[in-house]
Amino acid sequence: MRIADKMNFDQVNATLGKNRTDMAELQNQAATQKKLTKPSDDPLAATRVLQTRTEIEAGKQFLKSVGQAKNFLEYSDQSLGELAEVFMRAKELAISQSNDASASESTRQVAATEVEQLFAQSVQVGNRKQGDRFLFGGFRTTRPPFDANGNYKGDSGEMKITINKEAQVAMNMPGDRIFLGKSVQTPSGTTPPTPGENRDPKVDPQPTHGNDPAVRPAKIRAPASRFSTPNEAAAEMKSADGEEPNNLGESWKTKGTNVFKVLSDLEIALRANDKQSVQESLDHIDEALAQVVIARSTLGARAQTLTSAMESLQKGQVDAKTLQSNLEDADTFELVSDINKTESTLKASLQTSGKLIQPSLLDFLR
Amino acid sequence: MSKIHGMMDVGKRSMMNSQTALQTTGHNIANKSTEGYSRQRVELQTAEPLGMGKLRIGTGAKSAAITRTNNPYLEKQIQKEQANLGYLEGKADAMTRVEQVYNEQMNKGLNQFSTDFFNSFREFANNPESLATRTQVKETADHMTQDFARVNKQLTEIQRDLDQQVAVQVDQVNEITKELASLNEKVQMVEASGAPANDERDRRDLLIKQLGQKINIRWAEGADGNVTVTAGQNALLVTGNEAKRLDVKSTPAEGAKGEGNFDVFYHNSERSTAIRVTDQLNGGSLGGLLEVRDKTINGLLDQVDNMAYTLGSTVNELHQRGFDVYNKQGATFFELPKELKGASANLKLNEAIAKDVGKIASAAQRDAPGDNRVANAISKLQFEGVIGDNKATLDEYYNSMVGEVGIQTRRTTTEQDSQKNIVNQLKNIRESISGVSLDEETTRLIEYQKGFDASARLIRTADEMFDTVLNLKRM
Repeated sequence: MRIADKMNFDQVNATLGKNRTDMAELQNQAATQKKLTKPSDDPLAATRVLQTRTEIEAGKQFLKSVGQAKNFLEYSDQSLGELAEVFMRAKELAISQSNDASASESTRQVAATEVEQLFAQSVQVGNRKQGDRFLFGGFRTTRPPFDANGNYKGDSGEMKITINKEAQVAMNMPGDRIFLGKSVQTPSGTTPPTPGENRDPKVDPQPTHGNDPAVRPAKIRAPASRFSTPNEAAAEMKSADGEEPNNLGESWKTKGTNVFKVLSDLEIALRANDKQSVQESLDHIDEALAQVVIARSTLGARAQTLTSAMESLQKGQVDAKTLQSNLEDADTFELVSDINKTESTLKASLQTSGKLIQPSLLDFLR
Repeated sequence: MSKIHGMMDVGKRSMMNSQTALQTTGHNIANKSTEGYSRQRVELQTAEPLGMGKLRIGTGAKSAAITRTNNPYLEKQIQKEQANLGYLEGKADAMTRVEQVYNEQMNKGLNQFSTDFFNSFREFANNPESLATRTQVKETADHMTQDFARVNKQLTEIQRDLDQQVAVQVDQVNEITKELASLNEKVQMVEASGAPANDERDRRDLLIKQLGQKINIRWAEGADGNVTVTAGQNALLVTGNEAKRLDVKSTPAEGAKGEGNFDVFYHNSERSTAIRVTDQLNGGSLGGLLEVRDKTINGLLDQVDNMAYTLGSTVNELHQRGFDVYNKQGATFFELPKELKGASANLKLNEAIAKDVGKIASAAQRDAPGDNRVANAISKLQFEGVIGDNKATLDEYYNSMVGEVGIQTRRTTTEQDSQKNIVNQLKNIRESISGVSLDEETTRLIEYQKGFDASARLIRTADEMFDTVLNLKRM
């Protein structure tokens, strides 16, 4: 092949240009420690990085939400623990005052005063706040849910916290359920709970599954929540707790136990020195206690759900971060060896270029 | 019988031939690096011999022509490949800029701002009573709308810049066609006298290549040596010594072209009305630029608009069903633009909400400050199929947009690289045929110089012979 001078120079230009470009690219990777600096470097990886980044960010938020909800639940549980103690004490009093062997009219009067205080303490528990929020007011979190006489001013709203893409967990338990024994309303209102049994219908009827009961309904509901239009979303939003939660459970109210009434009945019985009534109130106290215990176990189950949600979220975070790193971070060893390779290529082409631009015949003519 | 005169003539002609050849060699050396130059050769032929009876006596050599060494088919192939390269260069150039709008590897972009937005609603749902979470919702919504506007603005700015580039390229096209027309004239003039117009043809070939790199052309050389160049389907740019002008003007939206972007017009004559040829330009760098400007970017703008509008309307829909802290039915969360087009630029947080975050609704019922159902529902929108026939989530929609841009950019730049290689290889072949080799020229230099010396010696010999003849008598 005939070699023209221009070919040599063009070739030197082209090879050096290419080597320098490769080198710059690698150096950029080394400086940023990323192999993905723009979408066109690897379009598929770039979109996956965006996906995982969303997941990580949302995951962070979910973790934060779960943490908050857990606090709220734990504080509620703690408060209910106090309430349980109140009833233990009331029970003790009722037992000791229900016979004449250890009690008399005067001891009953003293006990009545203590019960009165227990009543006040229960109201206090009912009006417990976390930060600025009342724990047991349902959605009405900004004013005390109970007045001094134990009348409920809150509603039956359950504040649901989103714990992952699909599931929500209620972080509060409205006061009317715990204190007034109002059953939780079912959205349709067609399946009233078994009378006298204040079970949270959301609690898995077969707890032996070992699954977190509270998360199950959320999972079951998940398909229904895949609405395709905002209308459906709104419909779900409404139906979540019924249109007017206060009215829905109206007829069942009597089936639970009003803990305040239990205490005030006991107080009245003591003041009236009515041994019989005091004895009868024991059953009610047990019912009230059971009601509180069930509420606590529900809360405990939810806290459990949150704990496992937190664990899986944390695991998800780690996985997502690993994936993201795999997708966009440069492999340092590979990078360094690539740089070395390119560098030696560059040197080689510089050397050969020097030879290519050799002296011509002109240099040998005198 | 030969004559001493004849010898002198042969010597003289030979010296002149050598000089011509030497000058041509000099011309070659001088144009060693001239783009598009083809090396030239003096074609030497034996001169007409003299008949003297039975003898035919040679009369030396004559310079028949100076020709260039050139393969016209190769030139045509280079022209074609270079046109492809021009198209890819124009496209890649524009695409790498578009890509930067969607590059979230280094900067925060829509993906992150929308995640922030939905996260703020999650945080809001955790604590709807708090002013802080409400303010956060407001802030993230603000940032998100600003980022929608940024994407819109950057994309339209790229369109504007591309307009400017189109204008510059059209100017260059006009320059080239003007020179082509005048070269046509020169070639015709020179070749009328029978000599090949080497340098003019080289230049003309080069200009056609450059023109093809800028705009899609068809061209042919007529019997008279004139090239005729047509751009697009029927925009006759060069005929004979006449060049027709293209120009650009900002015009209303038409077809894929956006409002206010430049159209390219063809002027057949100064008096006739200009013809719009924008749609015919699908090759060369102009074709690449126009494609990105009109098809790619407008497509992306539509998608971003669609995303902004869908996001705005779905959030509004839910928000309006809720109740704010004043127990009032929720207002529209976003001020939704009237039409889809330009929605990304105009999506704004409702003024009333921006002023008073208490107007953000989280409750699904009245008198329920802790009710977070609306906030929950809005936060869930992030993972709901609300766009693209309700099949894709907003994230998916946006991510696929980024992927699309990435794929297109990557494809164009790889194609550009390989096309560059093809052109380089062809150019290499061209250089090996038409390029100047210094070694070769130096050899010629020596060769012709020796020829020149020898011819001079011939003349001296003839001169001495004359002397001898003249001195015959004195002896």
